[in-house]
This record gives sequence, C-alpha cells and structure tokens, in this order.
Amino acid sequence: MRTAGWGRRAVLFVWVLFALFPVYWTLITAFKQQVDIYDGPRFIPFVDFEPTLQAWRTLFGDGGGDFLGKFANSVVFSGVSSLLAVILGGFAAYGLARYRYKYGPYRNDDLSFLIVSQRIMPPIVSVLALYVVFVNLRLLDTAFGMILAYTAMNLPLTVYLLRTFFEAIPVEVEHAAALDGYPQWQRLLRVVFPLAAPGLAAAFLLSFFFAWNDFLFSLMLTFNDAQTLPLYITSLNAQSQPLWWLISAVGLVALVPPAIVTVVLDRFMARQVLIGGMR
Amino acid sequence: MAAPQSRAAGGQWHKHLLLSPPLAFFAAFALFPLGFTIYVSLSNWSITGEHRFIGFGNYATILASDTFRQSFLNTVIFAVVTVLLQYVLGLTLALLVYRSTRGQSALRLLLLVPMMFTPVVVGFVWKTMFDPSYGPISWLFDLVGLPQVPWFSEQLPAMTAIVIADVWQWTPFMFLILFAALRSLPTAPLEAAMVDGASGRRLLFDHLLPMLLPASMTAILLRSIEAFKLFDVVYLMTGGGPGVKTSTVTLSAYFTGLRSGDLGTAAAMTTMLLIVVLIATLVLLRLLIWAGRRRSRTDDAALQVERDDVADLTDTVDSPVTTEVR
Repeated sequence: MRTAGWGRRAVLFVWVLFALFPVYWTLITAFKQQVDIYDGPRFIPFVDFEPTLQAWRTLFGDGGGDFLGKFANSVVFSGVSSLLAVILGGFAAYGLARYRYKYGPYRNDDLSFLIVSQRIMPPIVSVLALYVVFVNLRLLDTAFGMILAYTAMNLPLTVYLLRTFFEAIPVEVEHAAALDGYPQWQRLLRVVFPLAAPGLAAAFLLSFFFAWNDFLFSLMLTFNDAQTLPLYITSLNAQSQPLWWLISAVGLVALVPPAIVTVVLDRFMARQVLIGGMR
Repeated sequence: MAAPQSRAAGGQWHKHLLLSPPLAFFAAFALFPLGFTIYVSLSNWSITGEHRFIGFGNYATILASDTFRQSFLNTVIFAVVTVLLQYVLGLTLALLVYRSTRGQSALRLLLLVPMMFTPVVVGFVWKTMFDPSYGPISWLFDLVGLPQVPWFSEQLPAMTAIVIADVWQWTPFMFLILFAALRSLPTAPLEAAMVDGASGRRLLFDHLLPMLLPASMTAILLRSIEAFKLFDVVYLMTGGGPGVKTSTVTLSAYFTGLRSGDLGTAAAMTTMLLIVVLIATLVLLRLLIWAGRRRSRTDDAALQVERDDVADLTDTVDSPVTTEVR
C-alpha cells in the first residue's frame, strides 16, 4: 500500500489541476484588457500582462448596461421563489408525513412520487406551452411570472426532501405541544418547523442554486425587464469578438451565491443530514 | 408511509389545504403544459397563433429529418458518455479522497468548485479554453508538439469539447454523492475482509462496489435525468454547430419553436424527448430497486462473514483489529 500512495497523489494532483485551471483562467481574464486576450494566451499577471480593473470599472460604471439590475433580478427571483418553494413545500411535506391521503387510487407515496416526477420532465417540454400561456396572461417578461415559474421548478424538490425530515420528527413532540394548549398551526410554526430547520435551510439553498443557474426559462420567458444574470452574460457575446474580460468578471460575481450554498451544504453533508434519502 | 394519527374525522379538512399548492402548481406547470404540448405537436401551430389539427404529420416530418435524427442521436450520446465518464471519475476521486487522511475537507471543497459555476459561464469559459487562436489548450498542444485540433469546426472535436466541459462541471456532483455514501458505509465488513487478507482489488470489487451500488444508481439516475436536458453549454460553446452536428433535442426544439416559429414541430420534438427520458428513467429506477435489494442481501452476507471472522479472531488474540471489528 505504500507505493500506491504516490499514484494516488498524482491522480488527485492532475484532477485538481484540471478542475482549477479554468477557474484561474476566468480569474485572470477578468483582469485583462482586449489586447492581452486576443494576442494568444497569457498566463501570469505582472509577468505576461499588466492586470487592469477595466472590466470591473465598466461593469459597475456606465458601460455595464443594466448589470446591477439583472443581478438584482437574479437575487430577487431566486430568493423569493426558493422561500415560497420551502414554505409551500414544507406545508405539503408536513401533510404527507403526518396525514393519510387517498385521492382516487393515489395515496401518500403515489402523491409524493407524482410531485417529484415533475423533475424528470425536460423543461423544454413545458416551456413551449408556458410561453404561449405567459403571452396570453401577460406574464411574459414580468417578475411575477418568473417567480411563479421558479417556484414551480423547485416545489417538487422541497416537498420530496422535507418529507423525510418531518417523518424523522416524533409525533409525541407534537402531542406534547398540543397538551400545552398550542393550536395546530402554532404547533407547526413553533415546534415542527424549528425542529426541521436544517432541512428547511438545505431545501432553500438547493432551490436557490437551481433557480440561480436557470437559463432556459429566462431565455424563453423574458426579453428585457425580467432578464436575469445568465441572460446578461450571453448579451456580452457579441458576434465577432466576445467581451471575454466582462464575461469573466460577471462569471466571478455569479459564482458567489452558489459558492456560499456549496460551502454551507457541504457542512450539512458532513453531518449526514442529506443522506437519509440516498442510502 | 403516513404516520397513523388518530383524529376526529371532521377535523382533517386542512390536510387537503396543506397539499393543494404543490398540486395546483403541478397541474398548472406540468400537467397542463404537457397536455398542451402534446396537442400542439398534433397541429401546425405557428408562433402567430394560427393552427389546425394535422394528426401525426409533425412526427413523420421530424422522423424523416436529418437535423432531428442528428440532434436525437447526439442527445443520447452526450447523456451516455458524460454520465459514464462522470461516474467513473467521481467514484475514483471519492475513493482517493476517502483514503486521504490529511487535508480531506479542504480537498473536498476544492473539488467542488466547478459545480459552483453557472452553466452559462461554463460554456463561455470552455469556449475560450478551446479557442484555436488564443486558447490555452491550443497553446499547450503547440508546446508539446501535438497537431492542432479544429475544436469547433469538426464534429468529433466539437463533441469532445462539449463532453469535457460537462464532465468538468458535473463530476464533482457524482463525487459528492459517492463520497457521502462511502462515509456512511459500515466499516466492519471491510475490516473483516482486510483481516481475511483480501487484496485491494478484491476489497474494491467484492465489497466496496456492491455496497455502493444503491448510491451509484441514485447518482447515475439523477445525472441522467439532467443529461437529457443538455442545452446551455452546447448553446454557448457551439450553438449546435458546425451546422447541426453538435445539436441536441432541446436546442433543435428551441430553434424550431422560438426562432423559426414552428411550435407544432418543436412540440413533436420535445414529446419524443420526453418519451426517451421516461423510458431511460423507468429502466434506471428498476435497476435502482434491484440494487437496493442486492444491497440488503450483501449486507446480510457481510454480517455473516463478520460473525465468522470474529470466531476466527478469538484465536489470534494479539490482533489489533479485534477491538475495531467488535
């Protein structure tokens, strides 16, 4: 096993290089100017090229178009829709964990599966129809429409994830709260939801991640006011010469929320909170 | 698995209230669009709104169209190749990191970085990486004397570039699930096998992989569902080009539906995609259930082995492993 140690380290090293080089490349490109990009690859700041804040000045200055507006759109749509998905999904998951349902042939497990099965359907199947619906309901390119679409996108996930969390909370806890005189809705808000807080947080973060990364819905259902960050990034892709320095800078900004999500989720994974459904 | 809870029959009306929002969203954003899409696929609906029922005409058109057949084939190839590569690489990394004792959590986070990139940005980053005139990959090929590859102007190189970008972004996801599964495995059967003198290879194939089977199937299922939706990276890296040689079904449907305004044909394309995804999902779900059963059998077998080994170990009193096994 001694000799295997070197092979192991070599493989890991090569992979880390492969995984991180594009990240480094994005980072330095965000500090390059046009000439340093199109004159062949330059790798080391201060040696190969003189780093400049040009991209960042453009982005946060006058030349950035509506960068801050699209950024705000992304934050608001992802945040509000994830919150809605967690609240609505939380109530439904609680119902599925605590009550017996029978809608025709559909019982709890079937209903659960029905709801989660939506994620199997490729979004392109529904988005063409949604486009027609959004046109007729005047929801196209509105914040309300996008928040509805993202909530719909994330609800299956939150219902599925949270059901396992609520099932893990003993019913006795609620009986005790009932004896203390809490009405039903207060038991839910004061006792059950706080106990499932890690699950609610994980569901929120995952939802945020998916809404933040969405491109197809935004591409199909918005054209100006309600455009999100990914759409802004593609607008920088001018036909002949993409504005690589700006694209890289926005890419780095767009990295921040998912990075926070990943670090926090990794902590959850480390505590095995999410594993329940995977084993 | 509803927890039974005795209640007065009349006091349960609010349980329907709890479930109604997701069911309403399900109806509005999945059932209705699905029915609508199927209807549109049977009509010659154009984006201007005029339409007439034409039966299976659109299906006949797309099945005869080279463009669609190419996109369809590409979608399947991309899904199979990327998911397999991601699984093998993710598993290898999970095993390697699992055995690293120092700096494990830092290493884990480093490996997850590609997953944090927004897919649109991934497309752009890899487009510069592969750029023939100013990309670092061409530069590297030059440096080591390899011939230049026309990355975006021929089919095979362009597909390879897309596969590399997708593998770069999503291998961390496989790694994440498999690593978590690896850590949740009971150590006793493995240690027992090691005491038995099982070689590294036998340990891996006879014990670790069977125990990881359910987690593997889950990870493969989740990635496959996503892989069939492949759109963003292709849209940005090649736009489906050269020609339509790297196009996917989603990309074709988008161009046909929104760019050319032929919603009927686009709907037929997405319906075909849905059918394939459903078949693939059902097969993988079956395998998942089978893997789960197999897992519980191997667990029993492992427990049996463990008991035998404990019996053996009573002879070798000084073995330092004794305490760990028990």
